[in-house]
Amino acid sequence: MNAGTRATPAPSAVVADDERLMREQIIGRLKEAWPELVIVGEAANGREAVALVHSQEPDIAFLDIRMPGMDGIEAARALAGRVHVVFVTAYDEYAVSAFEQGAVDYLLKPPDPARIALTCERLRARIKEAPDPMNDLLAQLAQQLGSAGVGPREYMRWVQASVGANLRMIPTSDILFFRAEDKYTRVQTPRFEALIRKPIKELIEELDPKEFWQIHRSTVVRVDAIEQVGRSLSGKQVVQLKGHDEKLEVSRTFNHLFRQM
Amino acid sequence: MTTEQRNPGTGNAAEGGPSDANPEPMGTRQALRQIRKGIVVMWWAFFDWLAAISWKALLLVSLLVLILAGILNRPNLFFFLIVVSFIIKIVAGGKRRAEQTASEATKRAETEQFERSVLEARMEALQAQIEPHFLFNTLASIDQLIQTDPPRASRMQQSLIRYLRSAIPQMREGSRSTLGQQVDLSAAFLEIMVMRMEGRLQPVVSVPEGLKSAVFPPMMLQTLVENAIKHGLEPKPEGGRLEIGAEVVDGQLAVHVLDTGVGFMPKGEGGVGLANIRERLKVLYGDRAELIISVPPAGGTCATIKLPYNIAAASTSPQ
Repeated sequence: MNAGTRATPAPSAVVADDERLMREQIIGRLKEAWPELVIVGEAANGREAVALVHSQEPDIAFLDIRMPGMDGIEAARALAGRVHVVFVTAYDEYAVSAFEQGAVDYLLKPPDPARIALTCERLRARIKEAPDPMNDLLAQLAQQLGSAGVGPREYMRWVQASVGANLRMIPTSDILFFRAEDKYTRVQTPRFEALIRKPIKELIEELDPKEFWQIHRSTVVRVDAIEQVGRSLSGKQVVQLKGHDEKLEVSRTFNHLFRQM
Repeated sequence: MTTEQRNPGTGNAAEGGPSDANPEPMGTRQALRQIRKGIVVMWWAFFDWLAAISWKALLLVSLLVLILAGILNRPNLFFFLIVVSFIIKIVAGGKRRAEQTASEATKRAETEQFERSVLEARMEALQAQIEPHFLFNTLASIDQLIQTDPPRASRMQQSLIRYLRSAIPQMREGSRSTLGQQVDLSAAFLEIMVMRMEGRLQPVVSVPEGLKSAVFPPMMLQTLVENAIKHGLEPKPEGGRLEIGAEVVDGQLAVHVLDTGVGFMPKGEGGVGLANIRERLKVLYGDRAELIISVPPAGGTCATIKLPYNIAAASTSPQ
């Protein structure tokens, strides 16, 4: 339908791979298999590939799946319907069969001449039609790859904190509790304590609610670090921790967390 | 004490004292609240005492209370109190037993959890030995170089052989590995990555010769190196430096991998490899080893493994 709209009759393509050698390889083999195909640009990551497709408007994009920053799947999503996509990868862990029904092809590195000839043949036939938006396929792939945008919400897994003069990344699984202290929030681990500037109120938004519970206006505790919950003499619930002597008071607002069964 | 515990009655046995405050004149409200607080404290102290005390002791106390009742001539009230205490004892005793069994169950579950995590950590470590993407990408690169630059293809292939030669024996369990072996493995890996990433990777390996015979667990250094490239340097268009270093401080061997990449992402996926290292260190050394991730002043990421410094026995298997 929109076949005649292009000014240049020669088919064009861009090649995206973060390694120059691999781009050379694809381009070299495409030249042998399809001499008329014009390579209008090379990209080293997904973002560059998207920009290149927008500026050069090629018919085909060869996208390496694993690229730093924006990967091939994300780039294909951004380009859905604009260009015919052929995915390239060194190692097939994404169910090649999924492609057999889609409009795209899937090449394994290094592509042998017979296989790349087949790809070119498919592309010659497809290129006259509008590119398939590949919605289902891309959603499925993105899920397998854990690409951004579709997965469940990501919680904080590391806390950047100053320990003495050093800046350290502390895994949340190492943290016993967070406690508001003056202007800072104290991060307590079994080995040391550190300070961060982020207030408890913001922290609780970013922490996994399955992993961390707020038990007081100024205290957030890691559930797995709780040894037991007892009562102080004044009848207040008090949390005892594994491998740490400090006891944490539970305020009444949060009593329900430890209600007896 | 005994006279006061009548007031809370049986209403708030399980919870600390729900608010069913009935309106009072302003002056007495404060005082009532104080009294109430006192009662709650007493009540819980009494409750815990009842739960902990043996039946024998409780009977003895009851007898004393009965004698007291005789003296004060209020047998009905005290008899009532004793009956209530016995009922509470039955209930509270059950609660205490339940707590004990619960804590035992927790302990058992923790042991099982620990054993499982040891096994999982080992399995993951084995699976992480040779990343298929790395292997196939390298083979594809060699394939390309054979056509365009055969001498470089040969160099890359030799590096791959060196890498596989040190990585494969580590898949077999029980081999005691040294820092030297780990550094050789990572050096071969870096040679390959330098050829693939070209100018974007500048490795610096500065491990003193004398420390190469130190005991160091397999595949930990390599995980740190792979992480530094994948999460630090690859995402950075201009790449950067990767430095492997080692020193002994206070009897601890500290091995670090520093990169000048994009810096550590607190949310990003990653982390699996690091969690695995942490887990294995815990299994092997308990509290005597740790993995520290820090942010160098100049940016990037520095990962340091600290563990007890030991020289490997001469009986290490030949490489």
